[in-house]
Amino acid sequence: MIHHIRNKIYHVEVLPPKQDSEKLEKDLEIFSNKYLRVMDSGYCACVTDNAMGLLSFQGTEIIEELDLPVIPEQVMIHLNTFHTKDDLDNILNLCKTKGIMYLLIITGDGSERLPKLHPSDVGATDVESVTSVELLKYINREYPDTFVLGVAFNPYEPEEHELEKMERKIKAGATFIITQPLIERNEIVDRLLEKYPGIPVIVEAWMSRKLHLLSEAVGYEIPENTEFDPISTLKMLHKLYPGCGVYLSLLGFKTQYDLIKDTWV
Amino acid sequence: MIAFTDAERKKYRNIWVVAEILFGEIQPVTYELTGAARTLADLRKSEVWVVVMGSDIEGKLESLFAYGADVAILVDNPGSSGFVDETETKIMKRLIIKYKPEVVICGATTRGRALIPRVSVMTHCGLTADCTGLSIDPENGDLLQTRPAFGGNVMATIRCSNHRPQMATVRPRVMKSPEPDPGRAGRIIKEDMLTSDSEKIKQIIDVFHSTETAYNLADAQIIISGGRGMKGPEGFKLLKQFAQRVGGAAVGASRAAVDSGWIPYAHQVGQTGQTVQTKVYIACGISGQIQHLVGMQSCDLIIAIDKNPDTPMMQIADIAVVGDLFEIIPEIIREIPNL
Amino acid sequence: MKIVVCIKQVPATNDAKIDPETKRIIREGMKAILNPFDTYAVEEGVQLRDKFGGEVIALSMGPPKAEASLREAISVGVDRAILLSDRAFGGSDTWATSYVLAKAIEKIGDVDLVICGKQAIDGDTAQVGPGIAAHLDWLQATYVMAVEEISSSSIRVKRMHEDGYDICEMSLPAVITVVKDINIPRVPSLKGRLASNKCEIPVWKPDDINADTSKIGLNGSPTRVVKIQPPPPRHTSTKKIEGSSIECAQTLLRELKLRSIV
Repeated sequence: MIHHIRNKIYHVEVLPPKQDSEKLEKDLEIFSNKYLRVMDSGYCACVTDNAMGLLSFQGTEIIEELDLPVIPEQVMIHLNTFHTKDDLDNILNLCKTKGIMYLLIITGDGSERLPKLHPSDVGATDVESVTSVELLKYINREYPDTFVLGVAFNPYEPEEHELEKMERKIKAGATFIITQPLIERNEIVDRLLEKYPGIPVIVEAWMSRKLHLLSEAVGYEIPENTEFDPISTLKMLHKLYPGCGVYLSLLGFKTQYDLIKDTWV
Repeated sequence: MIAFTDAERKKYRNIWVVAEILFGEIQPVTYELTGAARTLADLRKSEVWVVVMGSDIEGKLESLFAYGADVAILVDNPGSSGFVDETETKIMKRLIIKYKPEVVICGATTRGRALIPRVSVMTHCGLTADCTGLSIDPENGDLLQTRPAFGGNVMATIRCSNHRPQMATVRPRVMKSPEPDPGRAGRIIKEDMLTSDSEKIKQIIDVFHSTETAYNLADAQIIISGGRGMKGPEGFKLLKQFAQRVGGAAVGASRAAVDSGWIPYAHQVGQTGQTVQTKVYIACGISGQIQHLVGMQSCDLIIAIDKNPDTPMMQIADIAVVGDLFEIIPEIIREIPNL
Repeated sequence: MKIVVCIKQVPATNDAKIDPETKRIIREGMKAILNPFDTYAVEEGVQLRDKFGGEVIALSMGPPKAEASLREAISVGVDRAILLSDRAFGGSDTWATSYVLAKAIEKIGDVDLVICGKQAIDGDTAQVGPGIAAHLDWLQATYVMAVEEISSSSIRVKRMHEDGYDICEMSLPAVITVVKDINIPRVPSLKGRLASNKCEIPVWKPDDINADTSKIGLNGSPTRVVKIQPPPPRHTSTKKIEGSSIECAQTLLRELKLRSIV
């Protein structure tokens, strides 16, 4: 992961089509175009896993169905704890056969419709509920030396709690960290960097103009009409966190894609 | 369906309650509904009748009169091994045809919600589920049934003017149980079981009584929920004890607690968990992030217990208890009489 | 074994917004989903078919767009689907809806088992399952948390109750309604979903099922919604309880007793 940062490789989030899409074929085409464009640019395409609990198709099955090329250094799959054991193993096996090695392991968002891994599914005996920690342990045990596993860091949660969780995630085998979206300097992230100098950290840049959509993530209400300039914030993040990678969420492929080419200097 | 004429409608009189009997005991919901039926019957200047189907229950009918019933119809079914929907439907249908009640109210329990829809179809009656309010037009006897719809986002009022009887179910603990009057008397009408009542091709093989606290959040009347403030799985053991003492309560959790691995996801309340709409929600050590609040804010009564008086949860709560929940909850558990 | 699963497309109620002027639900832009409880019914139908052979058919009454929910059922393994859609069905309450579904089940013919979700999240009535059984005069078991045994002539199920559960055995044909504990519904795969888009879904009208028109739609419905209003406001003030832990506990306990909670 560290060479992603050294080589200024952006992590570009690509959202897979939703299960309730009324124009699935069209959405698959859009996904495919975005994915291929990220490959061409030499960036890393990051495919989410039922983000916000909204049912979507899996990155792995789309890559398989559409026969998309996998460049191992340029693909990252999010994987959360809302799967059946069978689905989980299917996804991991498909990643292995396709040569996908970067996985972002998160607890994830559930919904009425999503199954949840049980502790016994991943051989955990000491918890009531499977979190990213148990999933990390499971993958490292069952698929040794196959994947590079990352985890999420949320600086908007109480710091002590979050750093304690991070310690458990690192112990469970996480080797890189991606933060929640930052829109300014964040002292808790600063302390995270201090605590884990050897671990690559990627900060998330919010590329939508609609800053208020972040309200839920940051835990306070951002007014709907708040002015926000994603590109200049991205530039600022590069200055503030020169040793970190950057993960671009909600990047506008039509309007912003060409603008980011020269922002990481 | 052909609407009833006025003359036909007038043949139907009295407010009926279908008693909920478990293990030979009349359940509290029956008294709650008897109280509600009393109010309606007084407005219509008619009587409250309670239908009791079960075995070995005859000696226990006096309590129904104390809570406001005028008549108890007893259908003794000594061979009954458990709840057989079809048998009880046949009995109800027979009684309805014979006595013509104006209104039939039943508890919205698993048994009531299985029985009454079947009865309503067989007798061509309108039925409204889970009413939270019942009133009656004193002139024509139309039952005005109020119930939440669309996940509690609206209240709908429903009438069944053209048919009799009018049927409604009400969840346990929604109506307030009246003060019993032990001096009140009533009459008992005994109705025989007919051999044709019994459903021969259905059998209850076994009945298991489980004292474990209800687990299913959606079916609970009270949810006791914990958040980050519970500090660990031990904290949730305390909440489980609390829930058992309260009776009929389920244990819920915030996302923070589930994500910490303290309690299974099935307990999670909120946008990415379950949306609940219980009568009572007791939030223990839950700060109340938006995503949690949307999942529980339509509960009728919200009680919050937290050290910090300024959290969003403490602001929206009807009752906010400021203090250490690890001291307060054990104290309450000690004080609640053991059931 | 021939199994019919009855499903309903419902608005995602979490999104429900109320027009402040008309006090009505704003249906425009509201997402329509397969009723979450019905996904358990679909899964159970598919699993029973896989174990015992035969056919599983999804059946739904609703507007033309309800077809999407039937496709979802096909994408997770249902063999075929039928949509009951006609203006004449509009306005049906649970009595009329269960009548229409029962007539369609008769029309399908030779059905051994009907499976419904325990209730739909928009109405929460739990009345349609038992209603279908009553119209067909079949046996029923509600709140089923496990199918323990099934043969060509009978079924043994575990029924959930507030106070525990029971084991009930009955002859087929029968109607069961299922709760969440019964299985873990699979999420449609991309392959399944793409295939389901190609299926033909026949649309049946009242005539196709020989429905008595006086028993369907608004005319066939004994109940009438006469008023829709926003729920009463939550509360105006928070009652604060402070003091020592013992004082807090005692005050709270008094409040709980006052409301007959304990």
